[in-house]
Amino acid sequence: MVQEKKIKEAAASSRCLQWLFANLSGYGALYVLGIILTIVYNGMQLTVPIFSQKIVDLFLSGEESAVTNLEQHKDWLLWLLVGMVGLTFLRTFLVYHTCMIFERVSQGMLYRIRNRLFRKILNQDMGFYDRYRTGDLMTRLTGDLDAVRHMVAWVVRTVVECVSLLLSASIYFIYLDPIMAVSILALSPLIFFVTLAFKRQVAPMHQRLRERMSELNTAAQENISGNRVVKAFAREQYEIERFRKRNEEYSEARKETSLLWLKYYPVIEMCADALPVILMVLGGFFLMRGRLSFGEYVAYSGLLWTVANPMRNLGNIINEFQRFHSAAQKVMELDAAEPTIVTAAPSGTEEPLRGRVEFRNVSFAYGEREVLHRVDLTIEAGQTVAIMGETGSGKTSLIQLIPRFYDPQEGEVLVDGKNVKDWELKKLRGHIGMATQDVLLFSDSIDGNIAYGNSKMPASQVEQFAESAAAAEFIERMPDKYETIVGERGVGLSGGQKQRISLARALAIRPAILILDDTTSAVDLETEKHIQDSLSHLDFPCTKIIIAQRISSTKDADQILVLEHGRISEQGTHAELLAKKGYYYQVAMLQNGGEQVG
Amino acid sequence: MARNTYGQDERLETPFEFRHLLRAGVYLKRYRFRMLAALVLSAIAAATGLLSPMITQKALDDVIPAGDMKRLCFLALLLVGVFAVSIAFSTIRSRIMTKVGQDIIFDIRSDLFRHLQELSFQYYDDRPHGKILIRVVNYVNSVSDMLSNGIINVILEVLNMLFIVIFMLATDVGLSLVVLAGVPVLMAFMMFIKKHQRRAWQQVSNKNSNLNAYLQENISGARVTQIFTREEENAEIFDGLSKDCQDAWLEATKYSNLIWPGIDNVSVWVRAALYMVALLWLGPERASVGVVVAISSYAARFWQPILNLGNLFNTFINNIAYLERIFETLDEPVTVKDKEGAAELAPIRGAVSFEDVGFSYEEGKEVLSHVSFSVRPGESIALVGPTGAGKSTIVNLLSRFYNVGSGRVCVDGQDISEVTLHSLRSQMGIMMQDSFIFSGTIGDNIRYGKLDASEEEIEAAARTVCADGFIRAMEQGYQTEVKERGSLLSQGQKQLISFARTLLSDPRILILDEATSSIDVQTEQALQQGIDAMLKGRTSFIIAHRLSTIRNCDRIFYIDRGGITESGSHEELMAKRGDYYKLYTAQQEKVAFLN
Repeated sequence: MVQEKKIKEAAASSRCLQWLFANLSGYGALYVLGIILTIVYNGMQLTVPIFSQKIVDLFLSGEESAVTNLEQHKDWLLWLLVGMVGLTFLRTFLVYHTCMIFERVSQGMLYRIRNRLFRKILNQDMGFYDRYRTGDLMTRLTGDLDAVRHMVAWVVRTVVECVSLLLSASIYFIYLDPIMAVSILALSPLIFFVTLAFKRQVAPMHQRLRERMSELNTAAQENISGNRVVKAFAREQYEIERFRKRNEEYSEARKETSLLWLKYYPVIEMCADALPVILMVLGGFFLMRGRLSFGEYVAYSGLLWTVANPMRNLGNIINEFQRFHSAAQKVMELDAAEPTIVTAAPSGTEEPLRGRVEFRNVSFAYGEREVLHRVDLTIEAGQTVAIMGETGSGKTSLIQLIPRFYDPQEGEVLVDGKNVKDWELKKLRGHIGMATQDVLLFSDSIDGNIAYGNSKMPASQVEQFAESAAAAEFIERMPDKYETIVGERGVGLSGGQKQRISLARALAIRPAILILDDTTSAVDLETEKHIQDSLSHLDFPCTKIIIAQRISSTKDADQILVLEHGRISEQGTHAELLAKKGYYYQVAMLQNGGEQVG
Repeated sequence: MARNTYGQDERLETPFEFRHLLRAGVYLKRYRFRMLAALVLSAIAAATGLLSPMITQKALDDVIPAGDMKRLCFLALLLVGVFAVSIAFSTIRSRIMTKVGQDIIFDIRSDLFRHLQELSFQYYDDRPHGKILIRVVNYVNSVSDMLSNGIINVILEVLNMLFIVIFMLATDVGLSLVVLAGVPVLMAFMMFIKKHQRRAWQQVSNKNSNLNAYLQENISGARVTQIFTREEENAEIFDGLSKDCQDAWLEATKYSNLIWPGIDNVSVWVRAALYMVALLWLGPERASVGVVVAISSYAARFWQPILNLGNLFNTFINNIAYLERIFETLDEPVTVKDKEGAAELAPIRGAVSFEDVGFSYEEGKEVLSHVSFSVRPGESIALVGPTGAGKSTIVNLLSRFYNVGSGRVCVDGQDISEVTLHSLRSQMGIMMQDSFIFSGTIGDNIRYGKLDASEEEIEAAARTVCADGFIRAMEQGYQTEVKERGSLLSQGQKQLISFARTLLSDPRILILDEATSSIDVQTEQALQQGIDAMLKGRTSFIIAHRLSTIRNCDRIFYIDRGGITESGSHEELMAKRGDYYKLYTAQQEKVAFLN
């Protein structure tokens, strides 16, 4: 069992690394250069002590020769000093540029992954958004990606640094005195065992920490988005309490993770500190025996840190690696997510869409819950169709199948006689103008919001469509007019105003099929009349599918549908449906204030 | 302030000051004993650590030349003892500081969140939510290390440095001065870097904030983007923002990465100077090997804390950019808040009066002027009128989501600005146009109205608003998990759920702002009975466009041109043949299709 788990973990680790390296493509050469330079400058790091050693040997120790050397070979001293300073300059020059190479590579990779993930998210189907919370997605694109960046920029560099330092110092140690070298390096293998043990223990903690982080993000994000509701219910205290819990859990997870290393720390630090003791005893002994020169002793003592360094960095490296590991898995999951709704190949023909819509025996369910059942429906190009029905009867689901926000489980939806699955998505959606119930405006200017479907639209057209949507008047009254910035989700505008901007936005792409999902529910009747007028006088051919609650919006439609529990229960013109005395008739009666009209 | 968007950096007016750090001191104060303990422990650890070069020097100068192996072993044992003490103390210190660090972050985040709860709608309306979010989560995380270990380490490194200087001076004053000469050189270098570095890191935080804002909006608005096939264009905008982040980062690290090499170079110059002085000026006779080796070892040890301080300085500069943002948010004035010594509003009967109320969202653009009316307890009032006339504003003022510009709003004769917000709002039920659903179960969403509600109460509320049927039809019933952006519920269903939520809170004053706009007429008809039952004995304000909803109200206010132009019962207003009459007959005309 344990064995199996270990293998699994190892496989996951190697998958993460493979993915990471795949994302470095294009930067490979630069990255390798960075790694080589790291080795070079760490090698150079060892030069300064050599100079010091030479200076001590030549000019300080050995009473007689030091004095003569100083008298006769002052230039040696100067050259050694110049060499020391010069090499340090060269080395730090390399260090700086190597760091920048690592920054550049990691930023390049970050840029690439982040942009790819953003495209991924934008192209996901609606089912994806039902599964992932906003806060979680944001964590993946920010905190998680940062852990990946840190891996490339810091962890790899630090490991290379430690290893190359240790290796080159070891070689130098061995060259100076093999026995001394072995004694000093004897404790190094211990690192390996500590790594294994610590890694195993800390891995689940990092996973937990990452989850807590995502939860914290989600809690804050939803609170901010829902700030109006929070205030309306005076639930600030409750929210504070709820957030406190998340905050606490996160805090605990971080403590737990950091404290774990402190259990290993004394052992590792003991080993690191044992080095100077070994040097003093053994080195002192060898000095007494004349086996070691003072200069060599100084060289050893000057380089001991290269052996201690990997030990002292170990906790950080493993922690960062595990952080990378749990973050990368989340990012990879997103990277691998494929939308179930994918576009068909472009057809090549550039014929405009005419706007005939047909449903053939369409059934659709969210999971197990069926919302549409065997719907058959034909809408001719240019027709106006009104859809009515109770809350939750499937109206919105029905129209969402046309631009393929979802695919039906059964039957087919056809546009211009072609199954929507065979349309190139971009083209299909490009010809559908839709104003949804839940009006979502972006924090941008009103102009930018109306021209969302075609950002190059001239101002005059934006104004024209605003006029058609009965929005021009209130926009003109605003201080900055079309340049007024609306807040996120259109805050600052009334419900009716938002709906009208959203309508203008849908009209502005001159759609062949216009879908209005209860778009005028919050506008007053006069305004609605204005809108209906302009809808019937559009200067482009357009099939209109309108979900509405008001008879005033539906009565002039070519076809009226009534949905009931996912089935079409009534279908016909205003007069036909009134005569039928069914649901439609009742609604009409209700809206007429219950007055019996002949 | 103009509304901020993703494409705009948030300007920060305050200059760089270490007072931000001093201010952070408020947070540290709570932990001062633990921090002090940690400091003392570390100081002892550091001091004992300093004994080690003395021991080594002793060994090199006396014991080894004397060939005394026994004393050498004794010194080695001493060294082991010194290290053991040092390790033990620093382990304890780290344990303490890890906890303190997390506790400080916890405190800051809690305060930030608490403050955000107090900020008015205006604050949330004026900036993308992603920019608020990044402060609460990411920025606070970034400063965690600086405020805990960072501060301790600075003190320690400074102490460490002082110790070394003292030890060094004790060994040889002249040579020590050579080492110390490097300090002013370094200072000049750091000052130069700091100037650029700070701006650069502010830029990083700005660009990240923009990216976060755009990201959040795009996740929220993915559906709209897809229907308008804007994916490619938005992805390009995102590329641009992403590039800005990258550039800002590279620019900032350009300076940050200079610090370490800079210090390194200066330290080598110092060492070179040390040898020069020791050998050429003093000459080998006067400079003992031990002293020079010890001083150069001290010099190395002296530069180590400086190097560490340099790194700390680096993180301080980076993080102060974040800290500034956090404090900026904490300093955001709370415009709508409890007055000093505000009283609790006693259980109300529900009388409401506006006395000469004026209000504007933006300077010079009055939305309401001189509005006066009074409403008896239990009365139901409909607010009608053209969109944007100020209907929502009136109810927003009544709930004190905004403060009135002039005049006063009273509930039961008491000025609402004189009572606590909580006691006011908890007696009101407000249902807004945008029915926000939290992630969680449907039951939890309804329970939001009354946290200790029983299952029965929740179901009863759902039944009253005709939501029980569709909720039960779901597989998990009330336990069905819904997501904040999920499409599981239709807009009408969301409205019914928030209706149930409001109902459950059992308010004395009920405000329905287009609460039923997405609900079909049939359901609304059924709902109406529930509403009627609910309205009984409660004061209510209803904004709706369906006149059928409105007709039954006791009084109707016609709102236009910043005030109430007509008021009275349906019959009275019809008889008046004014604006309401026109509105009503316009609807009647359209409904007259039946003839």
